Amino acid sequence: MVDLTRRAWLLAAGIGLLAGAGPLAAQEQGTIYYMIPTLLDEFQTESQKAIEQVFGELGYKVVSLDAQNEANKQLNQLEDVIALKPDAIIMNAVDFDSIVPGIEKARAAGIKVLNYDRQIRSTPFELTSVAGTVEIGQIAAGETMRLLKERHGALKGKVLQVMGDPGDNYSLDIQKGFDERMAADAPDVEIIAKAALQWEASNAGDIVEDQLLVNDDIDLIFCHAAHLTVPIVAILEGKGKKPGDIMLMASNGAPVGLDNIRKGWQQVEVEQPLYAQIYGLAMFAPKILKGEALTPGSYDVVGLKSELTMEEWGPNLRIPGAAITKDNVDDKRFWGNLTPPDQKAQVVE
Amino acid sequence: MALAAERPAARLGPRQAQLLSQLLDHLVWLILAVILLVCSATIENFFQLGIFLNILQHATFVGLISIGLAFCIIAGHMDLSVESVMAFAAMIAAWLAATRGSASGHELAPWLTLLIVLAFGAATGLFNAFLVIRLQINAFIVTLATYISIRGFGLVLTGGRSMYGLPDSFRGVATTSLLGVPLLVVILIIAYVIFHVLLTHTRFGRHVTLIGGNPVAPFRAGIRVERVLYAVFILSGVLAAAAGWLLAARTNGATPNLGLGMLFEAFAAVVIGGVSLRGGVGRLSGVFAGVLLLSSIDTAINVMGLDASYMQVIRGGLMLLAVLLDSVKTTLRRRLL
Repeated sequence: MVDLTRRAWLLAAGIGLLAGAGPLAAQEQGTIYYMIPTLLDEFQTESQKAIEQVFGELGYKVVSLDAQNEANKQLNQLEDVIALKPDAIIMNAVDFDSIVPGIEKARAAGIKVLNYDRQIRSTPFELTSVAGTVEIGQIAAGETMRLLKERHGALKGKVLQVMGDPGDNYSLDIQKGFDERMAADAPDVEIIAKAALQWEASNAGDIVEDQLLVNDDIDLIFCHAAHLTVPIVAILEGKGKKPGDIMLMASNGAPVGLDNIRKGWQQVEVEQPLYAQIYGLAMFAPKILKGEALTPGSYDVVGLKSELTMEEWGPNLRIPGAAITKDNVDDKRFWGNLTPPDQKAQVVE
Repeated sequence: MALAAERPAARLGPRQAQLLSQLLDHLVWLILAVILLVCSATIENFFQLGIFLNILQHATFVGLISIGLAFCIIAGHMDLSVESVMAFAAMIAAWLAATRGSASGHELAPWLTLLIVLAFGAATGLFNAFLVIRLQINAFIVTLATYISIRGFGLVLTGGRSMYGLPDSFRGVATTSLLGVPLLVVILIIAYVIFHVLLTHTRFGRHVTLIGGNPVAPFRAGIRVERVLYAVFILSGVLAAAAGWLLAARTNGATPNLGLGMLFEAFAAVVIGGVSLRGGVGRLSGVFAGVLLLSSIDTAINVMGLDASYMQVIRGGLMLLAVLLDSVKTTLRRRLL
């Protein structure tokens, strides 16, 4: 009896919590669902914040759903969202292929689907706004070659590439861009690629610690996300290395990468233009929701010259990524400095 | 099948029986030795002290949470929350002591952060125990819920951002070596020795095993079953929290997905180490061997040219092998001893 009473109280408390969540008031321009791949990543949490802010300023109600890095869960979420008939969906896919049936279903239901950050080429969208994951890898390769040439006077040396989870398209695309460009332009550079399962930082640390024992001539470590550098710097420090003894580079532009550059541990961080990618979506969103066609050409997206082209997968806004070094690390346009542009998105008429 | 059942058991002499019994009890160590030998012979640069120390050092965190998990399973229950408790403990420690990222800026002394995270671990263990013992809710469900919600709290605490820049006094535990052996390794070994003694040479340990085997008989014998189970859950929480604090020291902070996947490694280690999921059976020496086995395989994959995707296949295969060996062991014991 006592146990039953306790359970009843717990149940009541749980229901109370759920009821407290309450529905948000709808806003006048319509409702947009933002599909998040995971929130265990600074890029994603900042993206969510910025999307809710930028689209909120334009009068949209934004509802965000986190797929916790599960492709199946994201597909289920998408199907649930379709049933709610929102005005638009912003897709940031866990898996580039398995989400396609859901996207097709949403578009068939008349919902506008905008693609953010992760390039999907196998199905059309109303708009895609990306820097391009393959291109991020290519920029990283360019910076690697510059750094190796500065060190050795020639394109030679050894690079340890610490990828994210081996099942994540995002990491595989970066690897593709990096490996292809290195193979074409610097074939004498040895690349050792290892995957940090589940993007877990201590796995990255273990990889580096083991590799340093069997490859003591590694020149540069390239991580596919900045948070992976946290234990790596600790390990390099613990092994008595000084900043720059082993060069470090990462991609995505997170605050920790910029901090590493300021401290001298990291030479380059490849920026994904988070804010510009979001502003790029927002400036075209009203036109898309009205069902009007977009005009290809050059557009100024919060100070970045971006190209809108018509591709097989629909209008594609390509925003240039950038290499962050100690010379430009304090530039406020880099999202890692966590200073979003203090302007409302300039809507394209 | 009928033939096997009717075949008379081939009994051994006392010395042979003792030898075979020892061999069966420590089979996982034998497998570990074989794997290390094969890796040393086939992987370039694998056979060196640094690699073996890495194997031990990398095993520290899974090793510590595996102790708590093994105690719970031997006591006939389950604690799926160990990974989240460990990760959240690391986040609390980094939030309180780190200087950069999304840290709080309090920059508390390391010993104080240790006390706080241990208290958090104990509180979580107590919470789990209360729901399992007093409210009679299945431990699997309770600790699964705790696992999920504490991960969520981690996200709330960190805002999805990394926290880093711990003071040297905090990181000292992960960067110090004693006679060339990393302090983390020393801590791991001492922990296993202490908890092995606790499990096998104390009344509490015997009660844990008895309760796991059959909770009714110890109750009738006057053993305070509930109190022992409370202690087991609290122990598991405290050990996980301690592991988290050490993990923060090693990684110089905490990231939101820290420790992801370690629960499954701990489970694999416990099963490979011969702990019965039915409760009442298991020894920590086997669990330690299981942890080292998994760490050895990870290290081997890290230093050889094998695709990381194979890591999961190999781990899964090993677990299956361990279960098969367990059944072979049981059959051999019945027939020969």
